[in-house]
Amino acid sequence: MVKLIENEIMKTFYKKRIHVIAGILLVLIALFAYGEHYTLTRTQDRVSEQLGIENAEDWKNIIGQQLLDLERRLDNPYIPEEGKASIRVRAEQLRFYLDNDVSPIGSSAARFMGQLMEQSIFLFLPLLIILLAGDMVSGEVNTGTIKLILTRPVKRWRILLAKLLALSMLEMFVIFMMALFSYVIAMLVFGYSGFNEPVITGFRVVESQLDTSAVRTIPQWQYLMMTYAIGYFVAFVIGALSLMVSVIVRSTSASIGIMMSTLIGGSFLSLFISDWKVTRYLFTVNLNLTSYISGSFQIIEGLSMTFSTLVLLGWALGAISIAFLVFTQKDILA
Amino acid sequence: METVLSLKNVSKNIKGRPIIKNISFEVKRGQIYGFLGPNGAGKTMTLRMIVGLIRPSSGSIEICGVNTRKDFVRAMSNVGCIIENPELYEYLTGRDNLELLRKMEPDIPQSRIEDVVELVGLTLRINDKVGTYSLGMKQRLGIAQALMKGPELLILDEPTNGLDPAGIKEFRSLVKSLSKDQGMTIFVSSHLLSEIQMICDEVAIILHGKIIKTSKVIDLTIDQKITWQVTNVQKAMKLLLDDFGIEAVKETEETLSAFTDDFRLTAINSAMMSSDIGLKYVFKKQKSLEDLFMELTGGETIG
Repeated sequence: MVKLIENEIMKTFYKKRIHVIAGILLVLIALFAYGEHYTLTRTQDRVSEQLGIENAEDWKNIIGQQLLDLERRLDNPYIPEEGKASIRVRAEQLRFYLDNDVSPIGSSAARFMGQLMEQSIFLFLPLLIILLAGDMVSGEVNTGTIKLILTRPVKRWRILLAKLLALSMLEMFVIFMMALFSYVIAMLVFGYSGFNEPVITGFRVVESQLDTSAVRTIPQWQYLMMTYAIGYFVAFVIGALSLMVSVIVRSTSASIGIMMSTLIGGSFLSLFISDWKVTRYLFTVNLNLTSYISGSFQIIEGLSMTFSTLVLLGWALGAISIAFLVFTQKDILA
Repeated sequence: METVLSLKNVSKNIKGRPIIKNISFEVKRGQIYGFLGPNGAGKTMTLRMIVGLIRPSSGSIEICGVNTRKDFVRAMSNVGCIIENPELYEYLTGRDNLELLRKMEPDIPQSRIEDVVELVGLTLRINDKVGTYSLGMKQRLGIAQALMKGPELLILDEPTNGLDPAGIKEFRSLVKSLSKDQGMTIFVSSHLLSEIQMICDEVAIILHGKIIKTSKVIDLTIDQKITWQVTNVQKAMKLLLDDFGIEAVKETEETLSAFTDDFRLTAINSAMMSSDIGLKYVFKKQKSLEDLFMELTGGETIG
């Protein structure tokens, strides 16, 4: 089995998929880092202008200003009630940071790495994984090499298992690249690692109210480990789904296309019909797992870490079962 | 003789339509067995069922006495095959392609790669990417893949498709030497009768998903059509009828034709030479697959 996995990993590397993914990661992380840097300096400039003080470097001034902005928006009659709920949660969170003297902003490599994963877990990371997994089987059907490997004296399920395991390792590699690239780039831009800075986690949003009863302060590195582990879990789920689609359809482009449109369509769906109960069982609305530990506002009521994890796990297991069933039974006609 | 490959009443329906209808045949150890039929007759479908890419709707397939559905791994460990085209990873080197296969099976030594590469004559280019290979080189690498295991049974699907005449000749001698020197059993499909005649011992002929004939290749060629060009056609016809019992047909003023086999042809020709018939030329018309099917099916068209 180890040799079969080696084969699969060798194929992916020589196909240069990994190179493409690394390239996309590098460009996007660099842009994101620049954007973060730019926003921060601009906020500082704006705050020092508004307050007429020099030491806008002090995060408390910036947060204070942000709170004022949020409260002003709450008074705006044109913002709908759902929008206000999310603003209220955000404001309460900021107040909590002020009260506890822990900065939620600032530029450190660790904070940047965390933000990168939080921002990419529901769309960007899945897209990369789809790119990686979408042709694992259909790619071989496309080129005909599936006939080569299926006429060797190896049971079909072992071949698919090797592909699944190779994929899980490659996913780990992608997550690792994400961490490494974002660390290196953030160090170049911000010049400060900040792995031991405190982070507040454990916010919960219950009925549009912020619940701070379970809040803890943990060091950044610990928070990062959690975030990236969750990122890996999401990558695995998306990988399993892409693998299933890749087994079922014949062409790689169709396989990648189907997964991408499902992903993007699914997240639109959650915006439009957020009060329809069934949508909470879609995998797309449950991908944003990191938002549970950072305590952001949820569009769909009643989702929790446990619920989302179970839903995703269910999708992954279902996908894997279907993939194995189809792969071991199907006739290779083309 | 031991049976290496046997099909018993194998059928395949796709979407309710019967594609392969109840076919049976046996290939003995050491044979070069031809599988002849026009395009679309079901050759590739049958081959795919043998190598486990498609499961038969009914019937059983045994390789070296092992049922492919019951113990796929043990049955297939005796087989090397090329189905349709050689399937290669274009982005890998020739060597990596073989290495990949080597790793899929237990106990194929590293040195085996060098052996098969040398056998198919790819030593010079084996470390280049397959994407840069010519069709002939890909074909050779495909054969190297199929031979990796040192199989008991080699299955080749239309192996000379796309090869130039030199390549075809080379391929024929390779197949013959594999059979003679290594005692390999070879099952080869083709839509060319001449191809099968040249390399095979026995043949199964398939049409519309049915085996319409299995026989020794020699028996197929027994009545090849010979044309003689002579000055005295009447006398030549009488000679054929009286001395050999062959009814010849007068084609033109100077030519007549008849069906006969190689053995009697020598005798006929020397008889004609020694009489005053005035023999000028003897032509052999290679029987085409169409002619053969016309005979076997009594005029049913292939189309």
